[in-house]
Amino acid sequence: MTTIDTTPPGELAGAAPGAVTPPVDNYLTWSKGVASWAFTLDHKRIGVMYLLGVLTSFLVGGIFALIIRTELIAPGQTIIEPETYNIFFTLHGAVMVFLVIIPSIPGSLGNFVLPIMLGAKDVAFPRLNLFSFHLWIIGAIFTVLALLFGGFDTGWTFYTPYSTKTELGGVVPVIFGVFILGFSSIFTGLNFVVTVHKMRPKGMTWFRMPLFLWALYATALIQILATPVLAITLMLVGLERVFQIGIFDPAMGGDPVLFQHFFWFYSHPAVYIMILPAMGIISELITVHSHRHIFGYTFIAYSSVAIAIFSFLVWGHHMFTSGQSALMNTIFSAITFSVAIPSAIKVFNWLATLYKGSIALNTAMLYALGFIFLFTIGGLTGIYLGTLNVDIHLHDTYFVVAHFHYVMMGSALIAFIGGLHHWWPKMFGRMFDETLGRIAFVLVFVGFNVTFFTQFMLGSHGMPRRYYDYQPEFTIYHMISTVGSYIMAAGFFLTAFYLLHSLFFGRKAPANPWGGRSLEWQCTSPPPHDNFKTTPSVGDCYDFRAVHWSEEEQGYVVIRDDDPDTVSSAH
Amino acid sequence: MISSLCGMFEGVVLLLAEAGSEPTPSNFWMPEGASKQAPFIDLSFYIINWINYFFFGLVTLVLVWFSFRYRQRSKHVEFSEGPVHNTTLEVTWTVIPTLILIGIFFMGFIGYLDLRTPPKDAFKINVTAQQWAWEFEYPNGAKSTSELVIPAGRPVQLVMRSKDVLHSLYIPDFRVKQDVVPGRYTYLWFESDVVTDPDDESDFFWLFCTEYCGDSHWNMNVHVRVFPDEDFEEWTKEQARWLDVIPEQDLYFMAGPKLYKRCVTCHSLDGIDGSGPSWGPRNGLPAIWDRVVKGEGEVSGGSKFIAGKNKLSDYIGDGKLYETPEAYIRESIYNPGALLVAGYGNQMPTFQGQLNDRAIDAVIGMMKNIDQFNADGSFKDQAMIEEAEARIAEAKAAAIESTPAEAPAGAVSE
Repeated sequence: MTTIDTTPPGELAGAAPGAVTPPVDNYLTWSKGVASWAFTLDHKRIGVMYLLGVLTSFLVGGIFALIIRTELIAPGQTIIEPETYNIFFTLHGAVMVFLVIIPSIPGSLGNFVLPIMLGAKDVAFPRLNLFSFHLWIIGAIFTVLALLFGGFDTGWTFYTPYSTKTELGGVVPVIFGVFILGFSSIFTGLNFVVTVHKMRPKGMTWFRMPLFLWALYATALIQILATPVLAITLMLVGLERVFQIGIFDPAMGGDPVLFQHFFWFYSHPAVYIMILPAMGIISELITVHSHRHIFGYTFIAYSSVAIAIFSFLVWGHHMFTSGQSALMNTIFSAITFSVAIPSAIKVFNWLATLYKGSIALNTAMLYALGFIFLFTIGGLTGIYLGTLNVDIHLHDTYFVVAHFHYVMMGSALIAFIGGLHHWWPKMFGRMFDETLGRIAFVLVFVGFNVTFFTQFMLGSHGMPRRYYDYQPEFTIYHMISTVGSYIMAAGFFLTAFYLLHSLFFGRKAPANPWGGRSLEWQCTSPPPHDNFKTTPSVGDCYDFRAVHWSEEEQGYVVIRDDDPDTVSSAH
Repeated sequence: MISSLCGMFEGVVLLLAEAGSEPTPSNFWMPEGASKQAPFIDLSFYIINWINYFFFGLVTLVLVWFSFRYRQRSKHVEFSEGPVHNTTLEVTWTVIPTLILIGIFFMGFIGYLDLRTPPKDAFKINVTAQQWAWEFEYPNGAKSTSELVIPAGRPVQLVMRSKDVLHSLYIPDFRVKQDVVPGRYTYLWFESDVVTDPDDESDFFWLFCTEYCGDSHWNMNVHVRVFPDEDFEEWTKEQARWLDVIPEQDLYFMAGPKLYKRCVTCHSLDGIDGSGPSWGPRNGLPAIWDRVVKGEGEVSGGSKFIAGKNKLSDYIGDGKLYETPEAYIRESIYNPGALLVAGYGNQMPTFQGQLNDRAIDAVIGMMKNIDQFNADGSFKDQAMIEEAEARIAEAKAAAIESTPAEAPAGAVSE
């Protein structure tokens, strides 16, 4: 049974040797026209459309970030009014969280890769998959509509009673938008859980699954269990605004702190919706690009599930100063520290995987190594914030801003960009310029640290977040931070340039450019419409002894000793 | 083990709280530390710092060294068997961080107990937060909005409430923070020995609002000053009486600018609109008093708005809603939602119970003479201020003699 699918269809059909072979069919060329994309049931096309949506949102959220940083480059007014600033930092947060980071990895890379990694033709429910993408588009449209209704300035956290009182008209539309986005997220999660349970190929037991699948699976569980709480909470805020029912506003007998409990019951697990798939990507990138069997597979797999479970028990650590009781604060602090352990285990395992490897320092791997560096900073600075007495000083300052940017951007988003480079040749069948890739990585990496490391010092010296203006003694940090954001922006624009360039002028990608062993590297790049002609069987997806460089392919091939069919077809 | 850990940290807390009246200086990580709680919080921060430096250094070192040492040298990959699993190693790097984290948790917990347990004899100050101002009320009835003044060397407890949305009171140099929540009381305590110079207004600590509360959240900051007991007593007495000792003719320029500090977050004097309309000339109209007297100001809503009547002149005058312009201004301060200036919503809080008749007179007097004030609200004529100060000093000397232990009702905030 073959797992390599590089033979052109012409030969398969039994055409005479020497006859003109028709071009190799792939999912991009399989059918044409806008409708063939908009209503496709192909998980790969849905993944590509998510990718387009997420990257567009990233551009929008990034522009808001640059405007905010430019305003803050010096004390006093620089380019915008306070009211505009408040709307912009709210939009930056809402767009980046709900439209970029949460859907980024599961929606785009997950959708594209998950079924192929399983050797399946598609996800379990292709129509539900399309529906969840359409919901995402509708949710995004409502978020844009919120701007036309006057915008909203509540912060992405929508804290009551400010969110039920503010006069800006965009609050209800954006709440409705996030409500819809929530369902998109739930349906994707549901689809992934069923697909992983039901569609694993022969030979792939739970503990032979690629770690990216473990991560997506754990993420999907959180998406299904936590997101409904956000949906209900936001609906209550909307109802409170419109009908004045008095759930959160004390003027009507409500409790504003109740909202924070509801909100963080979703939004803390949501942090792991962002970081777990990122960790999954890193597990793949580290092992493939160092051509070495992953170290401590079982520990990494279990730690994904452990993080998913713990994530539901720590929401109160966002509320140490909220007026929550001292006993609750103490319990939440204790449980919070327990989340640190599975995260630390993963970092140590990744490092051990590098040991005695054969490490290719290409763009994707640089992002993976950068991730370990940034995630270590993000994780370690979480310890200050989990420690009760220190958090009292640091809460709601730039220290927190820096910490969650190290985790959400430095880790989740950097892993997404790394994964994008890793699977780009597979998705579009083209190689990008590695030199430009490495230069862009350096710009992003340096820019990121310059932007956000300074914010730790801002915060520990007492600069509160969400401030339009600040005392002169903070100026130097803000100035450095803003310069860093420009460096980072240059890196991202360079990335956009060479990736787009590669689509038209890039070298054709081999099936397996990096030496991967999991199934997605064993179909053509880009994959055919049905991924595989027959359901492939799998072995240990991290056993790289079967991977060899082939001059003829200008890529790697998988030759399994236990599979005579493969051995014969490769020679 | 746990009880000995707790004991150890408690000892350190007590030891550090004995620290003297000198602030710990600002350094690379921490601002000046000026409360009794600051030293242990800083120590906790530094302990975590050193643990983090170690693990961060270790991870980075291994990361860089492995990446270089085991870099790929050709496309033909040399596969080494290498270990894929090692239970001893994996259990070790699970257990060691776990033990360290348990220690850090207890350190934070002990420090937090101290932050949450005010001494019984703490000096209580009531705090009211609203968009976008703080008001501090002292046991003798004195009120202050421009600064929080506390007695040195005495534990102080803030009893806090909010009139509208969430706020959070944060004094970085004291390392304390607590959200202020509408519909419930929250508490915060601290003690500082670090005296600020009562005669030097530039000697202070910052107090910030750290929970986002709308347009002027960033501007909801006041100064904290720590006075020795005697100066503190004198200050609270003066606060309770300050408006009463200003002679009638000096009211608008001696009391006006102080009262205006509560208005400045929303109402500018230079014609640039903020969260509220400027008191200076705006939209082609004259400054506020002339707008009101001539009735040229436009209104567009409010509980007393009558459809079709869009000019102030429809509401002010004999037999109309407000007999005099003064009556209209007074109502706008006590009941801001009655008539809304065109282009503005009902955002301004009421000042009923906070500004008495003399205070209203002072504010209206300032509006009438707005050309005598600088854009920042200060009065232009220094000579007049000096003359007035002499008159006030006389009145004050007389007043302090006769101040009763409890303040008269209706004391006015500064």
